[in-house]
Amino acid sequence: MSDTTLIPTPVLRLSGITKVYPGVVALEGVDLAIYPNEVVGLIGENGAGKSTLMKVLVGYVQPDSGRLETAKDGPVFLSGPASAIEHGIGMVFQEGALIPNLSVLDNLFLCHEKTFERFGFLSHRTMRRIAREQIRLAQIDVDVDSLVQDLSLANRQMVEVARLLWLSSIYGHPNPVLILDEPTAILSDTEVDTLFAILRSIKHRASVVLISHRLSEVVENSDRIVILKDGRNVAEMPAGSAKISEIEQLMVGHEVSADRYLEEHQHEPQEVEVLRVEELRVEGQFEPLDFSLRKGEIVGLIGLIGSGKEAVRDCLTGIRRADGGHIFLEGLKVSPANPHQSIRLGIGHVPIERRSQGLATGMSVQDNINLLVLKSLRRGGLLTRRAGRRNAQRWVERCRIKTPSLDVLSGTLSGGNQQKVVIAKWIGANTRFLILDHPTRGVDVGAKEEIYHLIRDLSLEGIGMLIMCDTLEEDIGLSHRILLMKEGRLIKEMAAAPNAKPTPSDIIKFIV
Amino acid sequence: MDGAAGPTRLQSSMKRIARTGVLGQIVALSLVALAFAIGTGGRFLQWTNIQVMLNIAGVPAILALGLHQVIVLGAIDLSAEGVMAFVIVFVGMLAKNTLNSNDVGLWILPIAVAIGAVSGLCNGLVVTRLKLPSFITTLGMSWILYGLAVYINKAAGIPLTDARIPDFLAGNTAGLPNIFLIALALTILVQILQKKTRLGTYIFAIGGDEHLAGQTGIGIRRTKTTVFIIAGALYGLAAVFLASKLGRAHPRSGLGNLFPTITAVAVGGVSLTGGIGSAVNALLGACIITALNDGLILMRIDPYIQQAVNGIVLIAAVALTIDRKKLGFIK
Repeated sequence: MSDTTLIPTPVLRLSGITKVYPGVVALEGVDLAIYPNEVVGLIGENGAGKSTLMKVLVGYVQPDSGRLETAKDGPVFLSGPASAIEHGIGMVFQEGALIPNLSVLDNLFLCHEKTFERFGFLSHRTMRRIAREQIRLAQIDVDVDSLVQDLSLANRQMVEVARLLWLSSIYGHPNPVLILDEPTAILSDTEVDTLFAILRSIKHRASVVLISHRLSEVVENSDRIVILKDGRNVAEMPAGSAKISEIEQLMVGHEVSADRYLEEHQHEPQEVEVLRVEELRVEGQFEPLDFSLRKGEIVGLIGLIGSGKEAVRDCLTGIRRADGGHIFLEGLKVSPANPHQSIRLGIGHVPIERRSQGLATGMSVQDNINLLVLKSLRRGGLLTRRAGRRNAQRWVERCRIKTPSLDVLSGTLSGGNQQKVVIAKWIGANTRFLILDHPTRGVDVGAKEEIYHLIRDLSLEGIGMLIMCDTLEEDIGLSHRILLMKEGRLIKEMAAAPNAKPTPSDIIKFIV
Repeated sequence: MDGAAGPTRLQSSMKRIARTGVLGQIVALSLVALAFAIGTGGRFLQWTNIQVMLNIAGVPAILALGLHQVIVLGAIDLSAEGVMAFVIVFVGMLAKNTLNSNDVGLWILPIAVAIGAVSGLCNGLVVTRLKLPSFITTLGMSWILYGLAVYINKAAGIPLTDARIPDFLAGNTAGLPNIFLIALALTILVQILQKKTRLGTYIFAIGGDEHLAGQTGIGIRRTKTTVFIIAGALYGLAAVFLASKLGRAHPRSGLGNLFPTITAVAVGGVSLTGGIGSAVNALLGACIITALNDGLILMRIDPYIQQAVNGIVLIAAVALTIDRKKLGFIK
């Protein structure tokens, strides 16, 4: 890059971008410059601010402060993806942005057909000619008349790339910026190779921002690497000289103080086993695996997206059926076939999507807490108000839920207190084994600590817990033991005794 | 280059024919025709009966041409009967009649279309500005317009005395009923709108995925409102034709048209989940429904059984065309 004497001007420059969501600072003064004809790899942990930054880049989200300027137009305001592309910035969304029931041709030019219009009618002949040309330039092998829903996922992505390149050329941007969000997550290995070959071949007429959690892939295919952590720039380096271990260190940052996760409250779990999993497997998700969990033990299940940990969780909660293997709860063989059954068996699940899956936000705190135990609150077949209040009051106090009264709608509580209501509901229902899926997501720092306290209390009472957290530090800090999954296999088990915990970089080595 | 493009071009044009999605409807129409031809001893397929059927099919076809566009959008329009009643009342007041001395002559056609279009505009504005579901909006609008129509008109049938429109509608050109030829011409117009204009592409895009369509910059509200206006205009035209055929303007004469129209659209292969189907589907659907009912009449089937048969046909047609995965991933 430095073989030219001239310092190139960036095609796109972001400076001091800050975005605050209620309770969370997503971006704090982030700077990013994109130069012509380069591939920039953007790296960061979950929650580091990558996706918010991308949304800012395409106008999906407006920053609270900071500047966005392009070489051609100076400072710009982006109201959405449509206005971003007029300034030469386009994004290939992970979930796809093409309309499935329209043809490749229609999708390529959608909303920008004006150039093909004559007397109000579209000239399909011209459109088809240009479309074939663009498709050939992007080296995609598709018929422009096929419907997008009939294309492979890889081809859909490439059609999107072709669309963005064409659009930026008609808006007069010789070097547009294309953002690819986890483009390889849905592709097979050969498709991945093709994708990168094509990206290299379009580099002479575009810059690419590549986001991927596969570090080696990013290092191999980028010119420059930008690392974010906790919504801030932490480092930037040429990809040629970057070492993966160094990047990992930068991604997870310095070690956190031990007391944050209340390690002095981490007590040795009981001897009795609460959960045992033998030869559990799901075709195409994970290979047969065994593990067990003692009463009061907290086990962290760690792996990247696609490692199979989500499928393991779903088997235990009864959301999906395993293809083989056994689950034993307190020595009894169980096979939760649906969520209803696992609730009856005493398996609790605090889901990641609290507001849509964990909590009836339109119901009162009392009703939420009593939801699973309505049967036991009946007197003579009818629900009694007194028994319900007593039960709810008990759990509100036990879990230190801060609520103005038992009757307020649970949706009006703070995130942390909502989460405590969800947990109270489970332990009130005689749950012996609890799965905590990102228990502190979207919860502010103070409330996080209260949830950690609650988790420690539950552990002391002998409830076994499987946790999947937002950050590695949280997983490590809370757990007695850690299970690592990679590509569908349980690859390692690590002890995490207080004062002898593994570091995040110890772990990231194994799972990436 | 040409040699290589040849087969692809052939393949793609074959694909395009397959994708028009009318083969199933043509098969269905043929089966209905065959069954009734046998059932009526050939009477069903006599040319005079076919002419009668094409004549009858005109009004439902025009209604279906309007309604199906709203359905392609992923919405629904239940206002046809109310709009028709409202338009018919104005036809009774403005066209040459026995009650007053007004006579706007053939201007009644654009006037009826305009009144229908304004009703459609109201639907569109309520749906897009008040952000209400089209189901409730158009159902409510239908009752509003019907109520107003009967109130204005005092539920009287006003004889229409200008014979030009009814005479033309009853006439034939090249053996085909004129009203059917008008429906055919409108079908071609709507088909061109759908396939050859930006508006058409946007309608299908919104029906396919409204969220993504909005993201690309398509004016969702403007497109939706335009579609409701077009639908309303076509109901207005259908209404003035219906009144002319009957020779009198009575607000009740539009009643009973909504169900056959929805059935025709569904039977024609327009998916109720949006994004699939075109004008040709709507026309074919109207033909199938008309043929079915005509056949049942010729076979002297009890009218209530006919009604039940129509209900079964509606459910069966929707079961075959609806996209159950629409809320998830479309494949």
